[in-house]
Amino acid sequence: MGKDTFEIVVNILKMLVIFLVMVQLVPVLVWLERRVSAFMQNRYGPNRVGPLGLIQLLADAVKFLFKEPFFPAKGMAVMYYGAPIMALIPGALALAAIPLGLPLHLEPFTWLGHDFGPYDFLIQGYDFGVGIVVVLGVSSLGAYSLLMAGWGSSNKYSLLGALRASAQMVSYELALGLSLVGILMIFNTFSFYEIINQQVGLPLSFNFFGNVTTISWLPNWGIFFNPLGALIFFCASFAETNRLPFDLPEAEGELVAGFHTEYGGFALLMFYIGEYGHMMVASALMVTFYFGGYSLPLVPTEVVHNWIASGSLASHPNWAALLTSLLFFVVLLVKVLLFLLIYIWVRWTLPRFRYDQLMDLGWKTMLPWALFNTVLTAVWLALSHKPA
Amino acid sequence: MLTSQDFLFYFLALISVVFGLGVILYRNPIYSALSLVITMISVAFLFGTLDAWFIAGVQLIVYAGAVTVLFVMVLMLFDLKHEMKTFSKGMIGNGIKLATSGVILGMMIVFMWSTYATEPTFKPIAADATSSVEPTRALATSLFTTYLFSFEVIGILLLVIAVGAVTLSRISGGTHHAD
Repeated sequence: MGKDTFEIVVNILKMLVIFLVMVQLVPVLVWLERRVSAFMQNRYGPNRVGPLGLIQLLADAVKFLFKEPFFPAKGMAVMYYGAPIMALIPGALALAAIPLGLPLHLEPFTWLGHDFGPYDFLIQGYDFGVGIVVVLGVSSLGAYSLLMAGWGSSNKYSLLGALRASAQMVSYELALGLSLVGILMIFNTFSFYEIINQQVGLPLSFNFFGNVTTISWLPNWGIFFNPLGALIFFCASFAETNRLPFDLPEAEGELVAGFHTEYGGFALLMFYIGEYGHMMVASALMVTFYFGGYSLPLVPTEVVHNWIASGSLASHPNWAALLTSLLFFVVLLVKVLLFLLIYIWVRWTLPRFRYDQLMDLGWKTMLPWALFNTVLTAVWLALSHKPA
Repeated sequence: MLTSQDFLFYFLALISVVFGLGVILYRNPIYSALSLVITMISVAFLFGTLDAWFIAGVQLIVYAGAVTVLFVMVLMLFDLKHEMKTFSKGMIGNGIKLATSGVILGMMIVFMWSTYATEPTFKPIAADATSSVEPTRALATSLFTTYLFSFEVIGILLLVIAVGAVTLSRISGGTHHAD
């Protein structure tokens, strides 16, 4: 965790901040969802409470907190109350394993009369080395929250919703995992930092049969190397997060509300936080693998750091390092928010699939295409990296 | 002195043992399956404490995330009241169950006793660990060079199992009537 108290405290605070970022982004996303849906349907949306309806979120939170807690007569208490908690854990853990900004290097400094040695902080909860495997593993546990909710409620609609949900998640996990194999082969590593470092700041350059081709006006992002994998990953992530057009677990038109029929108030809110957390994880993975992570296109991180250090804002090298990390965190946040906007946009554009169409798409379309993408990438790598 | 590593180990080991007992002691199969999930997760994090995060992630994806989800799903489709009743009645049936598990437990205890009767010795970690090769890469290299044949044979075995399961499900009769 760290070699002295300062480092340990910072590392613990970091975990807390990441969790809070996840939870605090949810109201913003809910507001965005309502405003965007209203915009797309030619309505106004919530615009009465506060400027642009932004305070509506607070009103919602108060409403959620003061709702009557309800427990179904034949429900099972452990599962019923455990499910919303279980919904939060995978999203938070997975988000903590993704790099959210440039690693921070602090020179030795004196603060409150004590000397503090040089530190290296990752803008990330914990670096597992094989990041993506752990992220996929942890987020695959999300299915249990749905199953526990469905079973613990002792309700037919809940159970049907939960069974649909878990079948869907298990099916699409395969396509999701396989679609990443191609990009992992290209970057030749499991580590998020190495993947991002290969995309930082450089113009796009292909190794084509021994000839290196450089396109100076495009960034060196994964999407240009593996567009098919990116497409499959993005589609499968909609199914993983149970968003429209894959929202069969909820399917409020057919199943009342699916697995969370019996939930209300804060427990329901926790399911939503879990769902939005999954969306954030999926967007962050999309950005990390295919859109250069926290980096700015075509601008190396050193250039940004030197630019900030030369300004008058940063009198001390530590402040410059801190500001640089913060800037790259904001860059990542903007990229992730763009993808979240696409999630919302798609939700209000496409109708829902039928269940058999969903399973056909998962098993007979996406899985073979993901396999094909893997083989194609392997052949491409074998051909293009032929020793000259 | 208990270091944080030790604490983590004993904590995870306690969880996995307690919920492992839960798997066999719960009457309700759903609770058994969920206990199995918690055991899987704690074993995954035990791998993690050994810095084998790849194995930990794979354990989470394959066992906790896929296999046991299917268990739980199938259990939820069954009529569990009937299951619980048949599982917990009958003197002879219970006797056979107790005797079988007793024999297996005895064999395990004898095996462990004979192995660790003296001071337990731990093999030193392979010399590869100190080299610059990352563990995941070393695992992949040995899996696809030294142990390639057994790896492929296991793959074929899984394919045979899948084909066998499909064949069995298509046979009419048995416990389920064909439509």
